[in-house]
Amino acid sequence: MLIFIGEDYITMGMSPEEMQERMGRWAAWSEKMDANGIKHRGDALLAPVTRISGVERTRTDLAAAEVKELVGGYYTITVENLEKAIEVAQDYPDYDLGGYVEVREVMVFE
Amino acid sequence: MIDHLFRHQYGKMVSILTRIFGLAHLQLIEDAVQDTFVMAMKTWREGVPENPEAWLTKAAKNRVLDLFRKINADQEREGKWVSGPATIALNELFLDSEIVDSQLRMIFAACNPALKPQDQIAFALKTISGFSAQEIASALLLKEETVKKRLVRARKVIASENIVFEIPTGPSLPERLHRVMEVIYLIFNEGFHSNRQEALIREELCGEALRLCKLLLTNEHTATGDAQALFALFCFHSARLRSKVNEQGQVLSLKEQDRSLWYAPLISVGYHALQKAVQSPFGIYHFEAAIAAEHVMAESYEDTNWKQILRHYEQLDILHPSTFNKLNLATVHLQLNDFEAARSLLEAIEPESLEQRAYLYHGLWAEYFLRMHLKKEGLAAMEEALAKVRNKAEREFLERKKDKLEQL
Repeated sequence: MLIFIGEDYITMGMSPEEMQERMGRWAAWSEKMDANGIKHRGDALLAPVTRISGVERTRTDLAAAEVKELVGGYYTITVENLEKAIEVAQDYPDYDLGGYVEVREVMVFE
Repeated sequence: MIDHLFRHQYGKMVSILTRIFGLAHLQLIEDAVQDTFVMAMKTWREGVPENPEAWLTKAAKNRVLDLFRKINADQEREGKWVSGPATIALNELFLDSEIVDSQLRMIFAACNPALKPQDQIAFALKTISGFSAQEIASALLLKEETVKKRLVRARKVIASENIVFEIPTGPSLPERLHRVMEVIYLIFNEGFHSNRQEALIREELCGEALRLCKLLLTNEHTATGDAQALFALFCFHSARLRSKVNEQGQVLSLKEQDRSLWYAPLISVGYHALQKAVQSPFGIYHFEAAIAAEHVMAESYEDTNWKQILRHYEQLDILHPSTFNKLNLATVHLQLNDFEAARSLLEAIEPESLEQRAYLYHGLWAEYFLRMHLKKEGLAAMEEALAKVRNKAEREFLERKKDKLEQL
């Protein structure tokens, strides 16, 4: 699983032109994974976070601007090993915006 | 996907929503539209929908309801309710013709005389053309902070002056339209004459000016002969945009430009507009367009019909006398080898009135002396020009001319 973490696009104040350009990069990456037949699914997550925590099940609503490191989405892919997954993650488009990828192996029960 | 789709859709959506909710809520509207684009950007990662424009329009309509709630919730606290917009048939405002109408209203709002001229340009590029403050700054060679200040000031004026979101009618229309065209003309010139080496930014500004001018041509009240002429002028100029600077970033004169790079389809669109334009009384844009037409029509530099161009410049000078125009007239006289006429025009010019473009005046004197084979005088004039020029590409252009003088 590739998990994307970074600041929310809205709080970054991107211009429409920049958004279109960035979307193109994401689409290219997605297409590349599809062409290689490695991608299962992915979701983009909306920014607002509702956190439930503690034994009291305390609810905290966080706006995008309050969270610098926000999980923005994920992809699950099937590749031979971790190194291959890291290779796929090289094409993640938002490194230049300070975003990063966490590569996590999904446990498989035999 | 279409180039600049987001940018253009942004302008459309902001205009439509402003028409529904009024200029007073502009900030809220711009934020809402921005959100919609972030949504589109995330949703379309896995594939762009078949009709992206329809998707965005639908998203904009959904935004209307959100905004209603938000604005009413805000105003409820102050005890005021928005009732007017509720009666508007929403779907009708999203018809193509109405979208254009909304954008025209936004152009007139941006060019409202209550706004300072420099703020008008920044505001227009932001709200109609969907440029960010940073993009405007880089296009106009300003600091981002300066642009932001201008945008804030423009919004304040729009709010405090209660500017109405409409296309002016009656006797005020010609004057207001005149200013709109002036602003569009300035945006174009920023792109065309800035001699920036980044071709992309120049093309974007010229492209935006063309698009805004085309909007004027879609409405019977704003599609005047002057607007047609302005559009023709933009077409002729834009057709040779790519040949203005070579791969090394050097600015090329008309003589040096590769005419095979000129974009013929745009030239013919220009002709079409000019033909319509000449059915109305001639204004300055008519003559400027006619001059530009002469240039793009000439098969080669040597084939340029300078006599015809001279006549156009003379007409232009009667209509709108300016130092800059005198300079152009002197240039044409030089082309026609009428050195006497060129000299007397140059002598009558006070270079101070040209401000930052004074180097053009000294450069022209240098050219004059070059043609007269007067090396010493030519070099002296060139030194003056070089002392005043600021733009790097223009400087290199003058340096090349200086080499010629030294070879005399």
